[in-house]
Amino acid sequence: MSQVMIKDQVPEKDYLTSGHLACPGCGAPIAMRMVLKVLGPKTMVSLPACCWSIIAGPFPQSSLKVPLYHTAFETAAALASGIRAGLDARGDTETTVLAWAGDGGTFDIGMQALSGAAERNENFIYCCYDNEAYMNTGIQRSSSTPWGAWTTTTPVQSPEASPKKDLLAIMAAHRVPYAATACVAYPDDLIAKVRKAKEMKGTRFLQILAPCPPGWKFADEDSIQIGRMAVQNKIFPLMEVEDGARWRFTVDHRGDAVEPYLKKQGRFRHLKDWQISKIQSDVNERWRVLENRVKYGT
Amino acid sequence: MKKVMVGNHAVAYGAMLARAEVISAYPITPQTQIMEELSEMVADGRLKARYIKVESEHSAMASCIGASATGARAFTATSSQGLVLMHEMLHWASSGRHPVVMAAVNRALAPGLNIWTDQNDTLAQRDTGWIQLYCENGQEVIDTTIMAFKLAETVNLPVMVVLDAFYLSHTSEPVDIPDQAMVDKFLPRREARYKLDTDEPHAFGALTKPDAYMEIRLRQQDAMDEARHAFKKVEAEWKKLSGRSYGAIESYEAKDAELLLVTSGTITSTSRYVVNELRAEGKKVGLVKVKMFRPSPMAEIRKALAGVKKVAVLDRNISPGHGGVFAQEIRSALYELPLEDRPVLFGYVLGLGGRDVTPKTIREIVDRTMASKAPERHDLWVGVAS
Amino acid sequence: MPDGRIPTSELDLAHGVPPNSMSYITTLPNKTGSWKYIRPLYRDRVAPCNEGCPVGIDIEAYMNLLREGRVEDAIDMLLRENPMPAVTGRVCYHPCETTCNRRRHDGAVAIHAVERLLGDEALKIDIEPAPRLYPDEVAIVGSGPAGLAAAYHLARLGYGVTIFEAAPEPGGVLRVGIPEYRLPKDVLAKEIARITALGIEIKCNARVGVDPTWEELDGFDAVFLAMGVHKSQPLGIPGEDAEGIRSGLGFLKDVNFGGRPEIGPRVIVIGGGNTAMDCARTALRLGNDVEVLYRRTRAEMPATEEEVREAEEEGVMMQFLAAPVGVRASNGRLLGLECVRMRLGEADASGRRRPVPVPDSNFFVPCDTVLTAIGEAPEFAEAPLDHDAWVIKVGEFGRANKDGWFAGGDIIEEPHTVAHALGAGKRAAIGIDHYLRGKRGENEQPLELNELRYGKLGNVPITRWRDDDPVDRNGAVNEVVGFEDLNLEHFTSVPRHTDRRLSIEDSKRGFAEVNRGLTWGHGLDEARRCFNCGVCNRCELCLIYCPDLAITRRADGTGFDIDYDYCKGCGICNAECPRGAMVMTREGL
Repeated sequence: MSQVMIKDQVPEKDYLTSGHLACPGCGAPIAMRMVLKVLGPKTMVSLPACCWSIIAGPFPQSSLKVPLYHTAFETAAALASGIRAGLDARGDTETTVLAWAGDGGTFDIGMQALSGAAERNENFIYCCYDNEAYMNTGIQRSSSTPWGAWTTTTPVQSPEASPKKDLLAIMAAHRVPYAATACVAYPDDLIAKVRKAKEMKGTRFLQILAPCPPGWKFADEDSIQIGRMAVQNKIFPLMEVEDGARWRFTVDHRGDAVEPYLKKQGRFRHLKDWQISKIQSDVNERWRVLENRVKYGT
Repeated sequence: MKKVMVGNHAVAYGAMLARAEVISAYPITPQTQIMEELSEMVADGRLKARYIKVESEHSAMASCIGASATGARAFTATSSQGLVLMHEMLHWASSGRHPVVMAAVNRALAPGLNIWTDQNDTLAQRDTGWIQLYCENGQEVIDTTIMAFKLAETVNLPVMVVLDAFYLSHTSEPVDIPDQAMVDKFLPRREARYKLDTDEPHAFGALTKPDAYMEIRLRQQDAMDEARHAFKKVEAEWKKLSGRSYGAIESYEAKDAELLLVTSGTITSTSRYVVNELRAEGKKVGLVKVKMFRPSPMAEIRKALAGVKKVAVLDRNISPGHGGVFAQEIRSALYELPLEDRPVLFGYVLGLGGRDVTPKTIREIVDRTMASKAPERHDLWVGVAS
Repeated sequence: MPDGRIPTSELDLAHGVPPNSMSYITTLPNKTGSWKYIRPLYRDRVAPCNEGCPVGIDIEAYMNLLREGRVEDAIDMLLRENPMPAVTGRVCYHPCETTCNRRRHDGAVAIHAVERLLGDEALKIDIEPAPRLYPDEVAIVGSGPAGLAAAYHLARLGYGVTIFEAAPEPGGVLRVGIPEYRLPKDVLAKEIARITALGIEIKCNARVGVDPTWEELDGFDAVFLAMGVHKSQPLGIPGEDAEGIRSGLGFLKDVNFGGRPEIGPRVIVIGGGNTAMDCARTALRLGNDVEVLYRRTRAEMPATEEEVREAEEEGVMMQFLAAPVGVRASNGRLLGLECVRMRLGEADASGRRRPVPVPDSNFFVPCDTVLTAIGEAPEFAEAPLDHDAWVIKVGEFGRANKDGWFAGGDIIEEPHTVAHALGAGKRAAIGIDHYLRGKRGENEQPLELNELRYGKLGNVPITRWRDDDPVDRNGAVNEVVGFEDLNLEHFTSVPRHTDRRLSIEDSKRGFAEVNRGLTWGHGLDEARRCFNCGVCNRCELCLIYCPDLAITRRADGTGFDIDYDYCKGCGICNAECPRGAMVMTREGL
C-alpha cells in the first residue's frame, strides 16, 4: 500500500478524555494518548511537575481514566518505585506503573531518582515526553534544550550554549532492559515500542519528542510535521537499545538538511549561517556515532 | 520476650511486628542499624516487605508516599541531613494524607558536621503536618513505633517516632518485645479508603486553586485535632494488651512542685534521676515530659503547668533568632492561662550537637532557676564557654 | 467508576472537599472548543484527474473502489460516465495522467492502463436494455464516439434513440481511422454491442441528407449531429492529384476494412498528428519503407508522444521542418516530392510558431506513395444550423441555434480527440434531457456548465446531472486539489508499472495489438498508488493525531465527526490529511 495505513496498529480504546488543558497543537497529549492506548486500564501514573500537571486538569478533575499521582518535581522515578513496591507487596503483579515526566523532571532535577531507579532496575515504564525546555513555567532552558535555541533564559544575545544531553546513552549506560526514543509524528513506531516495553520487566525507558508550538514558536498545525522533520533530518533519530548493548534504528532516516527545520521555528530564527552549518555538521557527526553504536554496540 | 538491644533495633522490631510492607531508606549515621536490622529481617523472611534501597532520603520519602498511595504500609528511617533533605516530601506525605511512619534519630545539623544528638532536625519539620512522638528509652521506642502505625492509619497523617542519637539509638537496654499475635490483634492489615486503584481511578494532588486549597488544609488540621483523641484511644488499647502507655505528656513528681522541668527525649531519663534526688532533699521539683510534640498537647500542658511558680524548659535545640522550640511552644500554650496561673518560664538551651547533659547540668539549672526571679534572657544557654 | 467520576454522595466530604486533592470528575466540563478561532471541516474536493478528463469520469472514485478490491463497483462507476472504456483505455491521450498529482511525486498513476483493465473486464458483463421512461425519440447522426456517447447516456436517461451512420459499419473514426494494432476490431465491436444492448438502434449505410433527409430529422423530438470530419485536406500544391498521392484517412479506411492496398515500397506520410502516425505504422506493416515529413519540429507534433516514439522504434523515419511544394511524376507514375526546408517564425493563433519556408532550400524526396494526413474537414454544408467552414456553432451543452438540435464531436469547436467527443456526447445528452424536460413542463433551471463541471475546466459527470452519486461524500465542494494541498509524508515511493508490449519485431510483423496493458496485479498496485486526492478514504490520520480526541469515527463507516465543543482548532488534522480532504475555516462562518 503506497499510503502506509497506520490505523490498524492503533488500539481502539482511549484512556484520556477531551477537555484537557493542553495548548492547541501540543504534542504531549498525543504521546500520552498513544502510550495509554497500549498500556490499558491497569496502569498507574506517577506524574511530577510538568506541563501534564496542568493538562491533567485541576482538582477536582482528571483527564485520565487511570489512577494518577501528582508528585514533586524530582520524584517521578522515586514515587513510581514506591508504587511498584506497594503493588508488589499486595501481590499485584499485573498493574503497570508508568512514570510520566517532562524533560526538566527527567534530564535535570529528576535525573537522580531516575538513575537510582534504573540502577535498581525498578520494574516500571518511564516515559519522558520531551519538549526541550521547562515549558510549563514559561519556556526556560533545560539540559534537553538544543544548542543554539532561544528560551527565556537563553535569549537571542546568548542562546543555549550546550548541546542536548544524550539521555538515551545515559539510560543505556545503566543497562536497563529497554530504552528508546520515539516521536509523536510516528505513532505506529511509538505504539510498537510501548507494546514491546509492556512485555518486558525491569526499567523500560522512552524519550518521546513532543513538539511545543508556543515554546518552539511555530504554528499549531505544524506540530506533527515539525516532529517528522526532526526525525528525518537526524536531529532526533528514532532508536532503541536493549540491555545497553544492542542498538537499532527503528525507522528510515532520510537525512534531510536541518535548515528547513530550523527556519520553521521561531526559537531558531536568530541563527546565523555559520550556526546552522555547525548544527548540520554536529548532526552528521553524531549520526556517525549512532551508526557505530548500531554496528558495534558502543 | 525480653531482649537487650540498642534503640535502633527496637525501631526495627517495631516495624517488623507492625508488618510494614514497604521499606525505603537511605543510610545515615546514626540510623544505619535500623536499616541493617530490617535488611536482615527481610532477607531471612521474618518480615515480608519490599525493601527499596533508594539513592537518597528525598527519594526514600517519595517512594514511601508512592507505596502508601497504593494502600500499602510504608516505613522509613532517617536523621539530620537526610531528614532535612526529605523536607519537601514530608509536606507531601502529610497533605497527601498518607499514614507513613518514620523513625527519626535526632542528630545535629551541619555545618559543622556533627553526628551527635540534637533536636533541630525533627523540630525543623514541625510545620510539615507530621505527628511527632518523642521517646525516652528502648521500650518506649518499640511501643511507640507499633502505636504510630495505628495512629497514622486512624487519622491518615504520617507519624515521626523520634529517638536521640547514640544516647538512645546506640544504647543497649532490655526491651520487652511484644508478641506478634498481640500486635496483629492491635494493628490489622491496612485497608485504605482512597488509594491508587485501577477499579476506581482518581488523580491525587492536582492543581488546587485558592477556592479549595484552604479547605484541604482545614481537613488536615481537623485530622491533627482528631489525632489528640485518637492517640489517647490508641494508647488505651495498647495498655490493655501490653500493660504499657505513655501519654501525650507525663507529669512526674509534679504534685505541689514549685519548679517543673519540661523535658523530652533522653534528657527526661537524666532529669527523673535528678528530680528523685532533689525530692529526697526536700526540694519541690518535678518534671513534665513531652512525648507528643505534634499535635501540640496544649490543653494538657496548660493543665500540667497552671499555677506552678516556675517552669524550666530544657531545649536540646535552637531556633536561631528566637530561642528553644519547646520553650516557644509552651509559652504559646500558657498564654491562654489567666495571668495569675501563668508560671515564670525559663527557657534553657543545652546539649546542642550532642554536648552531654549530666545530672550536674540539670542540678545547676534547677539551682539557677530557683535562685532567679525571672530569666535574664529569653534563651538561657547552658554549659557554653562565655 | 472506571472513568474516574465518583458521585459526591460516595465521597468522604467535609468543608465541601475530600480529605486530600483527589479527583472525582473528568475534564469534560471544560469546553475547550471555546478556545478556537478557526475550525476544521471535512470537505470532499475534486481530484485533478477528474478535472483533467475530457469525458468527465470520476476517476478518483473508481480508483478508490478498485483499491478496496470492489472491482464490480469500480466498473459500474466508470461505466456511468464512459460508455467505452475498453476503447479509451487503448486510444485516449490520457490528460488525466498529466494532471495526476502523483506525477510530481514518483510518476502518475497509470490511469489509462487501469481504465483498459476495467474496460476489458466490463466487456464480459451482459447489459440489460435500459428502461424506457419517456416517449421522446432522439435522432443521432454519426456513430463515432460522440454519437455513441450521446446515445448511451440518452438511453440510460430513458429516451428512445436512433443512430444514423453513413458507413457500412458503426464506430466512426474508431472503426475507419484507428488501426487494428491500436484498437482491435473485436474490442470495438463488443464495446458497441454493449451500447446497442441498451436498446439503441444503429442504421448503417444511412447518410443524412439522402436517407434520412434533413426534413425527416425534424420528425424527431431532438437531434444530435456528430458526423465527424472525414474529408482529407488537400496539400495545396500543384500536381497533387497525381497517382500515388492519396488521403491517409482513405488509406487507413481501406486497411481497416480488410484491404491491403498496393503502396510503396517507399512511402512518404505528410503530417504530424496521430493520423499521420497511424498511416506511417500501417504502411510499415505492409512492408514498406516509411518516412514522415512534418513542417514543424518534433516538439510541435500534435501526435501523442507514445505514438511518435513507437513509430520511431518500429523504424519509421522522420524528417522535420520539411514541407512539399511540388510533385514530380512521369508517365502518370509518382517519382517523388519537391520539398523545401522550413524554419519556425512567429507564433500563430494557436500559440505555435508558424513554419516559414526557407528560400532556396528545395530538395527532392523520391517516393512511390504519398499519404496525406494534414487534417480533415467537415461535410455539413447542408446542415440547417449556424456554422462556419469548420464548426457548427453550439452552446456549452451542444445546443445549436435550431430548437431541439444539438451537435458535438469533431464538428464543434473542441480538440479532435476521442475523449473530447465522448465528453461532448455526454454534455449534449444532458442538454437534450434538459430541453425535453422543459418541453414536458418540468420546471428546469437554466443549464450552467460551471455548476456541473469538475472544477473550473473539467467536463460534467452525469452523476451530478442525475444527482445519483453513489459515493458518500463529506461536505463536497467543487474545488480541485492541487499538489500543495497534499501531505506526502505518509506515502512511500513506488514507481509506476509499465505496460506489457509486443517486441518491436513482433509488432511490425502484422496488426496484432502492440500494447498488452497491465496485469491485474499491477493494475491493483496502480490503484493503490492513487492518492485519492480530495476524497476521504478513512485513513484515520485525523482521528489518530487529534490531541484533543475531538474526532470520532461514525459507526456506519461514512466518515468522521468533529466535536467542536472540544476541538481547539489547532489544525493538525487538516495539515496531516494526506489528500486535502479537509479545510480550515474561520470560526463564526
